[in-house]
Amino acid sequence: MASGLVEKVSAFCRSPSRFLFGTSSEVFLAELLRELRDDRANYTVKVLLLSPLCEYPALLCPSDSVGEETALELMSIFTQSPPKFVQFRSQLLVALTCVLTCSSDVSGRLRAFPDFLDLLLQLAQDTSDLHGDAAPRSLRATACDCLREMEALYPGLLSQRLELLGGLRHQETSRLHQAYAGLQALVLRNAVYQLTQEKEAGAARLRALLGGNESVECEADQNAGPASGKDSAPLSSVILGPMGTVPTLHTGPDCKELRSALSSLLEESYLFTPLSQAALLYRLTEVVAMVPAIPPTIFRAQLLRLLGTSEVTLLHTTLLMKSAFTDSLFSSEDEAFLFKRLVVLSQHPLLSTPEKLFYMDCILHFPENRPISCGDSDEALPVLLTPRLASALLPVVFNDSATLLSRFNLLSLVYLEAGEEEDGRGLEYLYEHLTSLLRIVESGGRRENVVTFFRAAFLFLFHFHHVERYCDNLSQQLCQLYLQHTRFAPHLINLADRTQEKLPDSSWALGLLKALQRVISETPISQTTLPDLRWHLKVLTRAAEEGEISQHGTLRFLSGIIPPSSSSLSSSGDWRLGNGILGVCRRLLVHPSLESMFIPLADILQHVAGHYGDTDIRDHARLYYTLLTTLSREKLATVLAHHAEGGQQVKKRTLSCLMTEGEGLTSILTIHETEVAIIRLIEADCEQLEAEDLVQDEAERGEPVLETYRAQFSSAAFASQVTLKFLLTHTETRDARFDQLFSIRLHFSLTDDHYSELQDLSVPCLFRERPPPVVTLTLKPREPYPSSLHVSAIFTTQDGLTWHTTLPDIRVCFQQIFLPLPAPPSWGRAGRQAVFAGLWEEMSSETGECASSLFCCQLEEKALSALVEKHFLPFLVSDPSHKDEFRALLFLPPQSHVLLKISSEEDAVHFRLATDNWELLPHINDYLLKITAS
Amino acid sequence: MSLRALWIISHEKGEHASIRFSRRFATVELRAKRLSGSSYVAVPEDDCFLQLLLTELGLSGSKQAFVAQRDDCLYRPRSPALELHITAPVKGTLWPVLAISQAHLTLACLPLVDASPGQRPPLSSLLSESQGLSFLAGLQTFLLAPGSKQDGEGLVSRLALLPSVLLQVCPLGTPLELPLTGTLAMPSPITSAGIQKQPAWRTGLYRGRAVVNVSVVETVRSMQYGNRSRQDLWDVYGTVACKCEVEGVLPNVTVTLSLPPNGSPLQDILVHPCVTSLDSSVLTASSVEHWDGSAFSGPYKFPFSPPLEPFILCSYTSQVPVPPILGSYQLKEEESQLHVSVVLKLHESVKNSFEYCDAHLPFYNRDQMGVVEVKVSSGQLDVSKEKNLLVWALGQKFPKTREVTMEGKILFSGPEPGPSEPLCTGLTAYIKLYFKVPDTTLSGCSVDQHSVQVYSSAKPRIVTSRELHSKDYWIWNSTDV
Repeated sequence: MASGLVEKVSAFCRSPSRFLFGTSSEVFLAELLRELRDDRANYTVKVLLLSPLCEYPALLCPSDSVGEETALELMSIFTQSPPKFVQFRSQLLVALTCVLTCSSDVSGRLRAFPDFLDLLLQLAQDTSDLHGDAAPRSLRATACDCLREMEALYPGLLSQRLELLGGLRHQETSRLHQAYAGLQALVLRNAVYQLTQEKEAGAARLRALLGGNESVECEADQNAGPASGKDSAPLSSVILGPMGTVPTLHTGPDCKELRSALSSLLEESYLFTPLSQAALLYRLTEVVAMVPAIPPTIFRAQLLRLLGTSEVTLLHTTLLMKSAFTDSLFSSEDEAFLFKRLVVLSQHPLLSTPEKLFYMDCILHFPENRPISCGDSDEALPVLLTPRLASALLPVVFNDSATLLSRFNLLSLVYLEAGEEEDGRGLEYLYEHLTSLLRIVESGGRRENVVTFFRAAFLFLFHFHHVERYCDNLSQQLCQLYLQHTRFAPHLINLADRTQEKLPDSSWALGLLKALQRVISETPISQTTLPDLRWHLKVLTRAAEEGEISQHGTLRFLSGIIPPSSSSLSSSGDWRLGNGILGVCRRLLVHPSLESMFIPLADILQHVAGHYGDTDIRDHARLYYTLLTTLSREKLATVLAHHAEGGQQVKKRTLSCLMTEGEGLTSILTIHETEVAIIRLIEADCEQLEAEDLVQDEAERGEPVLETYRAQFSSAAFASQVTLKFLLTHTETRDARFDQLFSIRLHFSLTDDHYSELQDLSVPCLFRERPPPVVTLTLKPREPYPSSLHVSAIFTTQDGLTWHTTLPDIRVCFQQIFLPLPAPPSWGRAGRQAVFAGLWEEMSSETGECASSLFCCQLEEKALSALVEKHFLPFLVSDPSHKDEFRALLFLPPQSHVLLKISSEEDAVHFRLATDNWELLPHINDYLLKITAS
Repeated sequence: MSLRALWIISHEKGEHASIRFSRRFATVELRAKRLSGSSYVAVPEDDCFLQLLLTELGLSGSKQAFVAQRDDCLYRPRSPALELHITAPVKGTLWPVLAISQAHLTLACLPLVDASPGQRPPLSSLLSESQGLSFLAGLQTFLLAPGSKQDGEGLVSRLALLPSVLLQVCPLGTPLELPLTGTLAMPSPITSAGIQKQPAWRTGLYRGRAVVNVSVVETVRSMQYGNRSRQDLWDVYGTVACKCEVEGVLPNVTVTLSLPPNGSPLQDILVHPCVTSLDSSVLTASSVEHWDGSAFSGPYKFPFSPPLEPFILCSYTSQVPVPPILGSYQLKEEESQLHVSVVLKLHESVKNSFEYCDAHLPFYNRDQMGVVEVKVSSGQLDVSKEKNLLVWALGQKFPKTREVTMEGKILFSGPEPGPSEPLCTGLTAYIKLYFKVPDTTLSGCSVDQHSVQVYSSAKPRIVTSRELHSKDYWIWNSTDV
């Protein structure tokens, strides 16, 4: 049992969606809880079983009620678990925190929340664990962590407990004082933040919070505070916003209590682990930033220690202090020192690469005391970064690619700033460096080297595209590289695309494409291999997109490869190669200088149409030839325009983009994915099943009714289906493209194996303005349990595109599977009652799968009648006018029954239940709870 | 300062990748959701994440030459924070995913961005960034720490420990401390320590005779071109490792580093967080600016309260005037033979007593070696024809002249091509030196036994040591290529 469950848990955590495809979350949750309750189970295993609840609480407890129940269950497990299993109990607290916070929706907190909070506070104060066992980490520390997490989620939750927390930290001498300090610092920061948001909050309120002298006003607050469901969102960092947006609390100079709380935390900060220390310092930085009466120099004593540290996170905190306080904490010497330190760290031989890259990023975003660059540009060079200082960060070929690129970028910025365009040594170095990367690529570098080189080339162009002598040289070098390694064609095209996109004013990309076209057309065909040729055609296609590039070279090249006499390439009839040729031709057909190319292009097309080895290519070449020779320029342009917009798209596509790897063809052949749900299924208000008017009964039956009744089931199709009706409608998202949908095919997939596979359904059309069509879904249960179905749809829009979309899941509720007793139609009430009596007797014996149960609740007589009327009328077997005992029979296909005897007893209404499928009991219980509660 | 999720992935150069461990922190995820509002992007499931991460790291589809998503030339300052583009179920960008790799193991996490939605703050303004980096590095050390068992098994057993380790160090997504390495043991139980507060990083109390072990290890790197147009480079850095077994809750120890007279000052000093206070002059010298001669040059005092486990007390760099071994490497192509000539000189200031000293001469992009006629003036030569590698073991001592030579010819006439390397085409070739010299440092930095102060009742035993070794010590062929 347990080992199977452990495997299930790991399968669940690997992919919850795939796991829940095979079962439902309720079943899995029930299984987990059952095992957790089991006293005999191994506690090490139990710790593992808690992980789904910690990681995916919202998935396992999708509603408040489930969350509530699960939380209560876990709390009772906690109270019952022996104290010696500290690890289990700690993990249980973590799981509880997750369940209680994540399963409720934003609006309210669960009822178990205050109880749990009390439990945590109680545990946090319980120092008795010191003397007992040898637990590595006490429950107390975990309780503090849970409290901190809850405070982070609901800021202000514990602000009335500041005094208590401060006291606990003060008394604690074991390692645990760190846990208290972390909690105290966060609560303090949140409390101060909340005061900044209140009008007229000042020194007195602050003092009251810190426990100076509690005022009556605060007492009142306390009652209204944490327990009330008022939720505040988690706070973002207060010092992260733009300068001058830090909320402030005006206290006047008198805030002794706060100052002493801060100093005592700071004094002990040395005793914390670097991670906790950094977090603490950051929180305190936030507090001091919000309270102008406390001078930032309170941090001064810690600074030297922090500046010398080897811990990335502690130095980072120092930088963040610098950013928050600038010159009120850091003099200009300090600033220069800190900056130099960053440069040192970003190339220190003992630090890891990610750390060095991080420091490099810090250099680019260094918070200067007097920033010169105004505005919020992404990366600005600090004035302190002189070329001389930056020379420590020169890229070398031995750097890993990430380091190399970020150094290259940094140095480019430095030289650009220094105005190195003309004969600067630095720029020369960068270019030489780029060339040596190119040499490595040339002599067969690995893929990573290739990618790095092209990125460095892009960076160089991006910063220095105006320095012609280098850029022209780079073009030449790239052409040579291409001739040696034609497989770099996609990289070169990508480089051209990107430079064109990012530097619209530069003509470098154009120059490169022109040069590539030239070197290709000058290559002797006899020396060209088939793979080379394919890449050449790709490059030429790209060059043909540029109206400013003369295409005569391309035409020469094409005519060179066409005649079969000159090479065996085109006569081979390679389909892909043929497409490559046609791709170039297609671009040429829309080239602005088509007039001047008319005859050679026609010759090429004609030749391909007549002699190419592949029929498909010949056909399409003929089509192009016809288009070229019969249509006017304008028409040709319209027909072949590849960015077709609007209505007549479909026609254009069929005419033009048949074989090239054009955008149109792919777009029409592809199924597009909608970004959000466009349509959904909502439950139709199905007409209430009517209680049939029964034939007023025939005489006593001779034959045994139960057997007759059962005999019907020998036919497999008998009463095996449930029919649900839905309306297919648009969702709230308005998108004009989807106002009219056609040929909608709905596909349903099961999330568990309780039902047989469902057929796809077709709906001819869905218009936003017309009434929604009704979709009838026929379910064939294997097991009569509630479930949900994934729904997706494929449809066509007016512009001819095909879309795939996912609809919100639909739920099959338990009560939707109820059917009335499928008795033969000729039977009257007496026969049904006889079946009921027979079944009741059988089930009460509780043999096999049978079970009986009792459900009680408080209901007025009238309310009971109304309830029966509303929910059970179609299923009543007894006469509805018999008010002292109602008998209802719920039939659940394929072959389950739930029998109910409902009667008012003196203390309560009793629902006596009997069923031949005991696994239905929890569901029926939920159902009864629901209907009797409303 | 919190993490939304954590992944541990193993792979072999991008192949056979699998997620060995993953953890999502539900409450932090909830915070992320509430903080980012409509721009919230949920953490994808493991399989999807793995694919996206491998693509972004350039590890996926290694057989395809160009994949636009992976190889686009548009520069994005990637590392250490990656961007993952999610397409299903909702389009969005997952940022900032931190990833660090070592050997076959990649660790990744997604820190919470606690900024208001919409704006993407610079990486350097998010404390969770550096916290994530430290935490990942700590986990990496924990997972890859040398254990008694074989590599693979050690990893498996440590991965199995991870859930309980995380419960201690990061129960709810906020990293509190780093997992303890060294032994697989859990920290000792929590004890009340009296009036003095116990540091959170000191995991227990030591009882017994006080022993303090301080060792200074220096590493020298060099890049020698023997060429006027390119300057030779070398640098030295050192670490001071300590292991202190001292009684007390917060014991005081002081270690003093000293330099010989006229020694150049220690630069770029980084100290362990357990150092209680620092004199500002200790930090002044830095390698990125020129030393004006007036800088502080010791003694360097480090008062600290040691943790129980071994740790790096401080590290430094130093500028020494000359490299310890100066080399010259000359290659000439003569018909089909390669003429090799090497001279290595040990500087007179360096102690001539090595633990080992080996020179490796690899030859790339050529056929395998056939005939090797090479003579060395000292030491032993080992020829590996399959790897096209000459290994010259110089032994424990250079001869009295402090100079050794190698002279000879190699004919590359083997039946098969040897290894290839894009950097070393034509006559571009190098010698790589591996050496270790006990009981010396290049900077002259040392710790005197008597300068170590331990404030305890019993007299402590103090052990100090020094050593120098090489790393990335290259000597390039200086004939014109």
